Amino acid sequence: MIIELGHYALVLALATAVIQAALPILGARLNDRGLMELASSAAVACFLLVAFAFAVLTFAYVTSDFSVRNVWENSHSLKPLIYKISGVWGNHEGSMLLWLLILTFFSALVAAFGRNLPETLTANVLAVQAWIAMAFALFILLTSNPFARLVPAPGEGKDLNPILQDVGLAIHPPLLYLGYVGFSVCFSFAVAALIEGRIDAAWARWVRPWTLAAWTFLTAGISMGSYWAYYELGWGGWWFWDPVENASFMPWLAGTALLHSALVMEKREALKIWTVLLAIMTFSLSLLGTFLVRSGVLTSVHAFATDPTRGIFILAILVFFIGGAFALFAFRASHLKAGGIFAPISREGALVFNNLILTTATATVLTGTLYPLVLEALTGDKISVGPPFFNMTFGLLMLPLLFAVPFGPLLAWKRGDLAGVSQRLFAAVAIGLLCGTAYYYFMNGGPVLALFGIALGVYLIVGSLTDLALRSGLGKVAGNVAWRRFSGLPRSAFGTALAHIGLGITLVGVVAVTAFETETVVEMKPGMTVDAGGYSLRFDGMRNGSGPNYTEESGHFTISRGGVTLSEVWSSKRLYQARRMPTTEAGIRTFGLSQLYVSLGDQINEGGIVVRIWWKPMILCIWGGTLFMMAGGFVSLSDRRLRVGAPAKAKRPKSVPVGAAE
Amino acid sequence: MLFWILVATLTAAVAAVLILPLLRAGEAPSSPHSHDIEVYRDQLEELKRDQDSGLIGGDDAELARAEVARRLLAAGESDGETAPAAAPRRGVSRLAQAFVLLCLPAVGLCLYLLTGSPGLPAQPLAARLADPNGDINILIAKAENHLAVNPNDGAGWDLLAPIYMRNGRVEEAVDAYDRAIRLLGPTPARLGGYAEALVVQSDGVVTNKAQDALKQALSLDPNDPRSEFYLALGLKQEGKKEEALTAFNRLVATSPADAPWLPLVKQHVAELAGPGAASAAAPGNPSADDVAAAQSMSAGDRQEMIRGMVDSLESRLKENPDNLEGWARLIRSHVVLDQRDKALAALREGLKIFPADGDGGKQLLALARELGIATDGVTQ
Amino acid sequence: MTRKQKRLAIIGGCVGFLVLAAFLVMFAFSQAIAYFYVPSDLAKADVPPGTRIRLGGVVEAGSVNRGDGKTVTFTVTDTLSGVPVTYTGILPDLFREGQGVVTEGTFVAGSSVFVADSVLAKHDETYMPKDVADRLKAQGVELSGKETIK
Repeated sequence: MIIELGHYALVLALATAVIQAALPILGARLNDRGLMELASSAAVACFLLVAFAFAVLTFAYVTSDFSVRNVWENSHSLKPLIYKISGVWGNHEGSMLLWLLILTFFSALVAAFGRNLPETLTANVLAVQAWIAMAFALFILLTSNPFARLVPAPGEGKDLNPILQDVGLAIHPPLLYLGYVGFSVCFSFAVAALIEGRIDAAWARWVRPWTLAAWTFLTAGISMGSYWAYYELGWGGWWFWDPVENASFMPWLAGTALLHSALVMEKREALKIWTVLLAIMTFSLSLLGTFLVRSGVLTSVHAFATDPTRGIFILAILVFFIGGAFALFAFRASHLKAGGIFAPISREGALVFNNLILTTATATVLTGTLYPLVLEALTGDKISVGPPFFNMTFGLLMLPLLFAVPFGPLLAWKRGDLAGVSQRLFAAVAIGLLCGTAYYYFMNGGPVLALFGIALGVYLIVGSLTDLALRSGLGKVAGNVAWRRFSGLPRSAFGTALAHIGLGITLVGVVAVTAFETETVVEMKPGMTVDAGGYSLRFDGMRNGSGPNYTEESGHFTISRGGVTLSEVWSSKRLYQARRMPTTEAGIRTFGLSQLYVSLGDQINEGGIVVRIWWKPMILCIWGGTLFMMAGGFVSLSDRRLRVGAPAKAKRPKSVPVGAAE
Repeated sequence: MLFWILVATLTAAVAAVLILPLLRAGEAPSSPHSHDIEVYRDQLEELKRDQDSGLIGGDDAELARAEVARRLLAAGESDGETAPAAAPRRGVSRLAQAFVLLCLPAVGLCLYLLTGSPGLPAQPLAARLADPNGDINILIAKAENHLAVNPNDGAGWDLLAPIYMRNGRVEEAVDAYDRAIRLLGPTPARLGGYAEALVVQSDGVVTNKAQDALKQALSLDPNDPRSEFYLALGLKQEGKKEEALTAFNRLVATSPADAPWLPLVKQHVAELAGPGAASAAAPGNPSADDVAAAQSMSAGDRQEMIRGMVDSLESRLKENPDNLEGWARLIRSHVVLDQRDKALAALREGLKIFPADGDGGKQLLALARELGIATDGVTQ
Repeated sequence: MTRKQKRLAIIGGCVGFLVLAAFLVMFAFSQAIAYFYVPSDLAKADVPPGTRIRLGGVVEAGSVNRGDGKTVTFTVTDTLSGVPVTYTGILPDLFREGQGVVTEGTFVAGSSVFVADSVLAKHDETYMPKDVADRLKAQGVELSGKETIK
């Protein structure tokens, strides 16, 4: 009965969303407070209902209730508890329910913190959120209902794909969705602004924290996914420009642009229309990503849902929301007042440059991702657009932006002094080149471009630190004064610096791995030794073992350097019994920031085996940098400026005309 | 009943939460500009802090302050212009309340009744294991769990094999028989069951592998009717009419007069002996009757088994209808169970997926005609 | 600079950049994409040696030869015709005879052997790459689900 109650709660959530979508907009039109306040109650109620439904589904998974088809299809009674729980979103139906849960969670947050916003804005925002919730609740109930039942109930489930039984993948989707769906709030704010036909200063202040939160989670989600692919798939790669990866990367790029343009808008009231457009585009890309992944139109290693009705339904949602929002934009954008003016060389100018490059880069990724689909639909030709295309376009486009990053925070608003800033960044450039050259010699040569790549990364890091140092007056004022100033800097300044430093670190990792990685494929017999990255690996032999639901063959390797034994590593191939599915468990050993990566191939006669060994210099920088970016996001989010912008209750009578207060 | 009470309570609670703000309606909202004013004030304060801590020079600060102050003034002015809010409208509020009270149960119940299974209890595995109470799937699961730990328990496999067969899990049945034979040694019953599972697995064709098992069974018990029948059937399928006829005749001779399979065996004899024999039984195209009749030869409720198979097949087809062979098998099985109306319905369903003018549809129609189902009118 | 000039400078810069990016994308499309073929397409389409393509199909049963260990040769077939492929490296976990596969690489001049530098199989044991399945269907080859799954 509890299952059916959860199912009913989901249906009731849809009904609540219908009300939330209809009445508050009416209230905003009629200036009726009751109708507008209904939005907040409805948003909270809707969230609680979906949360209950989600809890019930989780309960069904935990108790292995195979009378629920979804549980039967994706669970097994012998699976460890954590994978029973993560199995809830390890499949299409459950992951869509998680999508809806996060969407309604954000609505509830807007309702909870929205007391400070103008009532009409809150009402409209929540109504737009409810439109999205309605569409997805309907999608879930009609095409992918996780509460469908099986009578009679089977005795055992079909188990989760073993490759998904991994801690990294247990938390990757929720993080990714927090990012994807977080942008829905920005979208709703943008559409609400268009409906009202005006944007005020409070609007920008309110959009920024949501963008920041969504962006931070999306960064975490993408980074986690990349690391998972790296260690679990056994191919040693960390980014494949796979369409599904691009689907999450495009909203991230657009979201990064939005983050920066919202800054201009808040501080200078400029770029209003552009920011609204960008907010719509960002969430549209999130929806597009959901469509690409869920409809199975892609030839991708990830798409686990291939069902045409679902695809068409999501396509309809996509067309409705993107088309509707852009139509509204075309219709209403002229009502928005244009804001302040600025010189091309200025902080605003730098942020426009940032936006220009990021959106162009997003467009190239979008083109590369969709072109094969469009071409196939038009001509029937099948092509694949792979890493070479993206490296050539995206990589080249991003270069000027990376160079410009440290300039942004150093330029003054309105009118900046480029020569002065260049002078201040001279030290950063010099240190960068120095480090690049040093690393180049340390690695005994290699591509010269790599030297500049490393230099660029270091320059980003030092340049960001330069900003903090200059702001605290380091070197100009006494040490203790500089320290006081430093600690008095707004948190957002630290956030900016951290995120930019993270970008530099990731860049260093990417360049080092791309240029200096070594890969050895070799046939090894026990006792044989192979050199990689200055270390020697000796293959000692194979061993058979077994885990709770798999059997494995592991190879043992001893790692030494200069004759001294340092470490050992096991690398295995597993066979999961329930689905008869083989997986590779690569052996990875970390030395500083670099890693040795060993994966096994096929066994050949006489105890020999094909082994693939990578030396991945500085690879941990790639994900280490994203940790810095996330830290930057959270630090900025804690800035007090983001929390104000609301009239205190006591002040209201002053600003409200007497006639209206009656 | 309790379920519906809970549903009603939940709906009422949500309705109450939604209606509450409507009842308090009346107070006009504050002016939107008051929020802007607050933002600008805050920006001024921030500017002051930055200046105090030396982050921004005096001139720059002055310029910025002037700009923010201009915006502040503008916002203050337009604040005064805001039109007084309209008086609360009782009518609108009433309508809204009615909408809420109508929408929740209407949307909720309609959609739920469409998609839900009201009143179906939750079935946590632990509870089902504790009290299986005739839940065949759970008994199987229990046995499976036991065998997963003790894969060398031949008696377990021996017990499970026919249950799998009865539930239509043919492939698992083949595996279980195979293991039971390897662990406990061959008996006519096991070998016969194994062969039968193989035959069902290959859609009624008595394969070489099945024949080997049957021959072995007969070497252990030369009078095992099931094995004799399948071997005879195999001969017939291979087109060895003479030998098949001999084998069937021997089966007739050795069977008791009231054996339930006799009519079918006699039918085969008639077909093989009669003039129209060749067309009636083309090699490799056995009728499902054969399987069905053979199944009545050993103990146990064979009808029940086929029914189980049909049910599982039906549900599989519902899930994945793009399976021509499945539809053909379903139609055939219904005929075997003498459910001609259901066979006709299955044919109609199958023709929805495979249109009658396509290859698949033509095959289905041909099969139906062969089984004696009236195909007139099904294609419309 | 006047207001108008400032705006013009910014807009001009943006448009210039976009044009540049568009050219870059066009150039990249002419250089860096790979067409997808199944073996029987290759007889019709003349693929010059050195051009990167993707070749998809089914790994012919019994054709996999592990040579000296590192280099593997096998035949990719669409049941109408087959192409010999060599690949040096570790095959994906789900590479099996009779299973769908997509390889990427080039033909070497003067040889009919396809030299692959990447071999893809999917995360799923019932996998038939979509490209391969579509193409094979277009060639009139129906893959019965049974054989490929079991």
